[in-house]
Amino acid sequence: MPREIITLQVGQCGNQIGMEFWKQLCLEHGISKDGILEDFATQGGDRKDVFFYQADDQHYIPRALLMDLEPRVINGIQTGEYRNLYNHENIFTSKEGGGAGNNWASGYHQGKNFEEDLMDMIDREADGSDSLEGFVLCHSIAGGTGSGMGSYLLETLNDRYSKKLVQTYSVFPNQNETSDVVVQPYNSLLTLKRLTLNADCVVVLDNTALNRIAVERLHIQNPSVSQTNSLVSTVMSASTTTLRYPGYMNNDLVGLLASLIPTPRCHFLMTGYTPLTVERQANMIRKTTVLDVMRRLLQTKNIMVSSHARTKEASQAKYISILNIIQGEVDPTQVHDSLQRIRERKLVNFIEWGPASIQVALSRKSPYVQTAHRVSGLMLASYTGIRHLFSKCLSQYSLLRKRQAFLDKYRGFPLFDDNDLSEFDESRDVIESLVDEYKACESPDYIKWGMEDPDHILTGEGSATGTVDPKLAM
Amino acid sequence: MEDDRRVGDLVGELVYRLQSDSLSPHSNSNPNPNSEDVKYAIRILSSRMTPLVVANEAAMANSIKSQMAKQGKLSDALSFADLYSRFASKTGPGSVKNKRAVLYLLKVISEDRSSNPKFQTDRSFTDLDTNENRSTDLKDNSRSWNDNLRALRDQNSRKLKNGGVLFISRDPDDMRDMAYREFATLVNMENDVSEEVLVSDVLSVCQGIDGKYVKFDANVDGYLLPNSIKVPKATRIMIRKLCELGWLYQKVIGYISDNLDGFSSENVGKVAKAFCSALQDELLGYDKLLTVLQSHDLSLRRLSVWLVEPMVKMRRMAVLVDSCRSLKGGAMAGAIHLHAQHGDPLLHDFMKQLLQKLSSPLFEMVRSWVLEGDLQDSYSEFFISEQSVKPESLWREGYKVNHLMLPSFISKSLAHQILRTGKSINFLKVCCNDHSWAELSTEAVSATWTNPKRRGLGYGETNALESLVTESSKRIDKHLMDVVFNQYKFKEHCLAIKHYILLGQGDFVQYLMEVIEPVLMEPANTISLLHLSGLLQKSILSSSAQYDNPDILDRLTVKMMPHGTNRIKDIGWDVFSLDYDPRVPLNTIFTESAMGNYLKIFNFLWKIRRVEHGILRSWKAMKPNLSTSLLTKLPKGVKFQVVLRRCQVLWGQMSHFLTNLQSYVMFEVLEVSWDKFCNEMKASKDLDDLIDAHDKYLSSIIEKSLLGESCKDLIKTLLMLFDVILRFTSVLDRFYEGINEFGSSKNKMKKGKGLKSKSLETDSWVNEGRKAVTQRAGEFLKNMGHDFDEISKEYLLLLKGFICQLPMQQHVDLKFLLFRLDFTEIHV
Repeated sequence: MPREIITLQVGQCGNQIGMEFWKQLCLEHGISKDGILEDFATQGGDRKDVFFYQADDQHYIPRALLMDLEPRVINGIQTGEYRNLYNHENIFTSKEGGGAGNNWASGYHQGKNFEEDLMDMIDREADGSDSLEGFVLCHSIAGGTGSGMGSYLLETLNDRYSKKLVQTYSVFPNQNETSDVVVQPYNSLLTLKRLTLNADCVVVLDNTALNRIAVERLHIQNPSVSQTNSLVSTVMSASTTTLRYPGYMNNDLVGLLASLIPTPRCHFLMTGYTPLTVERQANMIRKTTVLDVMRRLLQTKNIMVSSHARTKEASQAKYISILNIIQGEVDPTQVHDSLQRIRERKLVNFIEWGPASIQVALSRKSPYVQTAHRVSGLMLASYTGIRHLFSKCLSQYSLLRKRQAFLDKYRGFPLFDDNDLSEFDESRDVIESLVDEYKACESPDYIKWGMEDPDHILTGEGSATGTVDPKLAM
Repeated sequence: MEDDRRVGDLVGELVYRLQSDSLSPHSNSNPNPNSEDVKYAIRILSSRMTPLVVANEAAMANSIKSQMAKQGKLSDALSFADLYSRFASKTGPGSVKNKRAVLYLLKVISEDRSSNPKFQTDRSFTDLDTNENRSTDLKDNSRSWNDNLRALRDQNSRKLKNGGVLFISRDPDDMRDMAYREFATLVNMENDVSEEVLVSDVLSVCQGIDGKYVKFDANVDGYLLPNSIKVPKATRIMIRKLCELGWLYQKVIGYISDNLDGFSSENVGKVAKAFCSALQDELLGYDKLLTVLQSHDLSLRRLSVWLVEPMVKMRRMAVLVDSCRSLKGGAMAGAIHLHAQHGDPLLHDFMKQLLQKLSSPLFEMVRSWVLEGDLQDSYSEFFISEQSVKPESLWREGYKVNHLMLPSFISKSLAHQILRTGKSINFLKVCCNDHSWAELSTEAVSATWTNPKRRGLGYGETNALESLVTESSKRIDKHLMDVVFNQYKFKEHCLAIKHYILLGQGDFVQYLMEVIEPVLMEPANTISLLHLSGLLQKSILSSSAQYDNPDILDRLTVKMMPHGTNRIKDIGWDVFSLDYDPRVPLNTIFTESAMGNYLKIFNFLWKIRRVEHGILRSWKAMKPNLSTSLLTKLPKGVKFQVVLRRCQVLWGQMSHFLTNLQSYVMFEVLEVSWDKFCNEMKASKDLDDLIDAHDKYLSSIIEKSLLGESCKDLIKTLLMLFDVILRFTSVLDRFYEGINEFGSSKNKMKKGKGLKSKSLETDSWVNEGRKAVTQRAGEFLKNMGHDFDEISKEYLLLLKGFICQLPMQQHVDLKFLLFRLDFTEIHV
C-alpha cells in the first residue's frame, strides 16, 4: 500500500526534465538503465514503490506517462540509453506528430481530442496502484503542448480524480531573452489560470533564474537546455527524498505539502538548492554545515525564482512557510543551533498574521551516489514575493493584448469561438486576484482582507446584498 | 712471632670448642687452622674496630636488646637481658674487665652477619651473637614459642656441659648464688606453701586445670590462691596476675570447642572453622612451652618472665574470640583485620599469620566466583549474596554485595568489580547460553601469575587479588559486550524500537494509522486483538518494514492495555498500543519497567500522530483545487470565503503547532537522545555501563517529551489542546459537508435550467429557490462561524497557557519547544 505518485511528463520540456528526473532516481535507488536492481543496491531502507512498480520479471518501471504532440523528444528517449526503462504502453505521441505549434489553444484542443487515449493511460496506471496519492505534472507553461495539453489534463484530473493530489513542476519562461515563441505571454497566462484553479501545488521553476544560476553560480557561459534541466531534476529528486527515504515526518505528499500551504490559493512554491552543481562539476568541494546550508538557501542567488520586484516591494515580501530538506550526515543538534542563529539575525521575514517558522526535514542520502558534499539542502517555500513573477506575466500579457497581437492563432480553436476572448479576461482576473491575495498576505490584516471589498471573492461574484452577520468579522 | 702463633692456636682452639659445643655439623675432631671460621675469627681479632661514639656498657646492652626486640625476637631479647645481668654481675679476679668492648664486639659481629648473607647459614657464629645456641635461619615460621623452648633447653645443656661462652666467665664458687638459695629456703620455711608448688600450680592453671592450691573462684571469675594460705602479698599478686593466663586460656579453648565440637558446629562457617584451627595451632605451641616449663626448676618471678609473651598473645586471642563470637565469614575476617592494625611487630606478625589462615576460605570463594562464577557459600559468609530470581532479573537483582560480609581489607570498589565479574559469567551462562568465557578465565589466571606454581590468593596479597579481578573482568566484560552486541544484536533492537515503538519508520506508521483508525473508533470491548494483529501485519507488508529482519518483526505485536474501570466507555484509541518483546537476555536492559516507559512514549507519539492525521485529512478535504472549484459552485452573496479563510488561518495555527511539536520531538528529543545514546553505547565497557546508557536515553526521552513527573500540568494542557484540535477537525468536516451540499444544490438548479454557467438566472421560481438557499446558507454560515469562534477562543487560550508554562520548566530543552512554537514571536 505505498502512496503511489504518477508522473505525467507533457511536452518537450516536460519530457526532458522528466527524463533527467528518472535518471537521477535510478541512480539514487541503484536501478540500472534497464530497470534491473544493481547487485550493489542491497542497503535497503529506501522506498522504490512510490515512484516505480515492479513488473513480474523484477524490472522496476517508472510510474510515468510520457506525452507529447510531436515525436522528437520522446523518440530520443525511446532510442536513448534508458529506452528499456519505461513501459511503452505509457508513451503517447500524436499520430499527426505536428505538435501544438507553441499555441496553448492547439495543445488544449488536441488534449481534448485525445482525452480518451490520454485518460485511458492515466486510468490504467491509476488502477495499477494500491493507494494512489496523486499526480505530478512536469511541463513548461510557455509552449504549446506542456501548457495547453497540460492545462487540459489539469482540468480533467481535477474533475476525475478530485480526491487525489495534483502537484506540478512548472517551468516558467526566461524573461531576459527574446523568445522565438512570441505568444509566450498568452500561453503563460492561460496556463497560470489552471495552475491556480486546478493544481494543489505548483513548484515554480523559473528559467530566468535557472539560467542566471548556471551562468553566475556554475560559470557556464551559454547554458544548454539539458544543463538547466539537470538543475530541475536535482530539485525534483531532492523534493521527493522524504517520500523515498521514510523517516519520522513528511512521509507522504500530503504531509509534505499541507503545512507548506496553509492558504489554498497560495500554493505556488519557490525552491532553492545548495550546493549547486551540474554533472561536469560534481567534484567541486565546498565546506557544508547545516547552518551554511540553511543560510545559503535563503540567499537569492540560490533561489530558482527570479525576483522581479522593485526594492521597496521586495522588502515587504514575506515567507508564509519554509521547509528545508537537508540530506546527508547531520548532527541533529546542529539543526536547533542553526535555527537559533537564523532567528537571531532576522534572516527571514515571516508573515505576521499567523505563526510561521522554518521546518527542517532530515533525510538520508542515497548510498549509491557519491557526492563531494557532506550536506546538501533543498528549500521549498511559500513566498509572497512570487507575486511579482505573476505580475510580470500579467504585464507582458497586457502589452500584447493591448496591441491585439497574434490573437488570430487562438480564434481558430473552440474555446475562443465566435471571437469570444473572455477566457483571456477570466484568466487575467484569476491571476490578478492571486497576486492580490499574495499581496494581502504581506499585511498583518490578511484575515480581514476581502471583507470590505466583496469583489475580491474569487470568481468576481458576490456583490449581492450581504446576508452575513457582521459579527462574523474577526 | 711465637706470640702470634700462640694466639692463632688459641683462636683455633676457641673456635673448635665453640663448634663442638654446638649442634653444628661443622664440628670436627681437630681444629683446622685454615677453616673459614678460624679465618673469620682471626680477621675479627686483628681488625681495629673502635666504636665511633664511646657508649657505656649499659647503653650498649640496651641497644642490643632493643635491636632484637625490633626484629621481633622478643624471647631472644629477654634471654639476652638475663644473660647480660649475670655477665655484668661477675666482678673480681678472672672476670672480664672490658665488658663494654665484649658487647661491642658481639654487636658488630651480629651486624656484620646480618649484612653479610654468607654467614647467615653459618651456625657456629650465631652462638657468638647472643651468647646462646640459637639460630635465626630456622625455617619454622612460628618461631616465638620454639625460641623460648630452645632458649630454655640451651640453658639446661649449658649447665650440664659447662660449655660455651659462659665457661669463660664461670665462677665455680659463686657465693652470691649460694646466698640466694639459702635465702629461698628461709623464705619457704616462713610460708605455708613452697614456691615450687606454687609454680607448678600456676603452670597447671595456665592450662586451665585447677592447681593444688590455686583454684578457680566463680565469685571473682578468676583463679585465686585462697586467703587461708599464707604467702607474702607480692607472691599473691603475682600468682593472681599469672593466673589470668589460665582464665584467658579457658576462654579461647571454650570458643574452639563451641565451634568445632558443640551442638551448633554444623552451622559454623568455613572462616570460623579456619579461625579455630589457627587458634588450635597457637595453643599447641603454648602447651608445649608449658610442658617444658613444668620440667624446669623455676621461681615464680622467672616464670613470670617466661609468660610475658604468651600472655600478650593469649590476651589478644581472647579479645578476638570475644569480639568474633557472633560474627562469621567476611564480617569475622574484617573484624579480626581491624585488630591486626597494631604497631607492635610481634602482634602484627601474629595477627597476619592468623588472618592468612582464617581468610583462606574467603579467598577461595573470591577465586572461584571471579573465574568460574561459582558461589558455594552454604554458611552465607561471602560478601556476595545470591537471590534466586528469573533470568531477566538475574543481572539487576540476582547478586548483591553484602556489605556486612565485606571485610575491610577489600575495598568497596574492588568488591563491586568482583561482583560484576562473577555476575557477568553467570549472566553468560544462564541468560546468553554462552560457554566460551572459560578460556578467558584461564587467560586471566596466566596474565595474573606468570609463575604457574604460585597461583594463590591470600590475605595481604592485595596486588594479586586486584590484578586477578582486573584481568578477569576486563576479558569477561568485553566478551559479554561482544555477545550482547553481535550475537544478540542489541543495537539492532534499539533501532527496531526506535523505528516501530518510537514511530521513526514513518511510512509504516502512516499505513498503520490509516488501516487501524476506523477500527479504533469502535468500543474497546468489541475490538479483537486478532484483527488488530492482522492490520499490523498488513502495515508491515505494505511499508518498507517488510525488508526488516524477520526476527525483529516477529517481536512486534499489538497490545490492548487495560484502561481504567470504565471498559465499556473506552474506545480503541484508549487501549491500543504496540509492544516489542526484547526476550532473554536483552530484557535485562529492556526491563519490564523500561518497556513500560517505551509504551508510554509510544502512546504520546501515537496521540500526536492521530491528531496530525486528522489535521491532514481536513487539509485534503479542502485542498487547493477542491476549494477553488467548490467556491465557484456556491450561492452568490454568501460570504463563504470569509469564514473559510478564518478556518484556514486557524487550521494553519494548529498545523504549525503540531508540526513544530513533532519537529521538537524528532530533533530535540528523539534524534539528539539517540545520538548521545549511540556514543555512550560505543563507550560502554560493561553491561552496567550499557544499562546506564540505556536508562539515561529512555529517561531523557521521557523528560523531554513532557512525560516526566514535573510536567504533569503541561501534558494535561497539551492533551486538552489535542482534544480541541480534534474537535476542530470534526467541525471542519461538517462545514465542508455543508459547503458541498450548497454547491451541489446550485448545480442541480443549473442543470434543471439547462443553462450554461455564467449566464444570468432570470426564472422567478429559481429566484425563489435561490433566495431560500441563500438564506439557508447564511444561517449555516452563521452557525459555523459561531462554532469556529468558540473553538478558536478555546484553542488560543489553551495555547497561551501552554506556552506560558514552558519557560518555567526546569528542563532546558523545553525552551527549545517554546522557541519552535513561537519562532516569529507572535505569542509573547
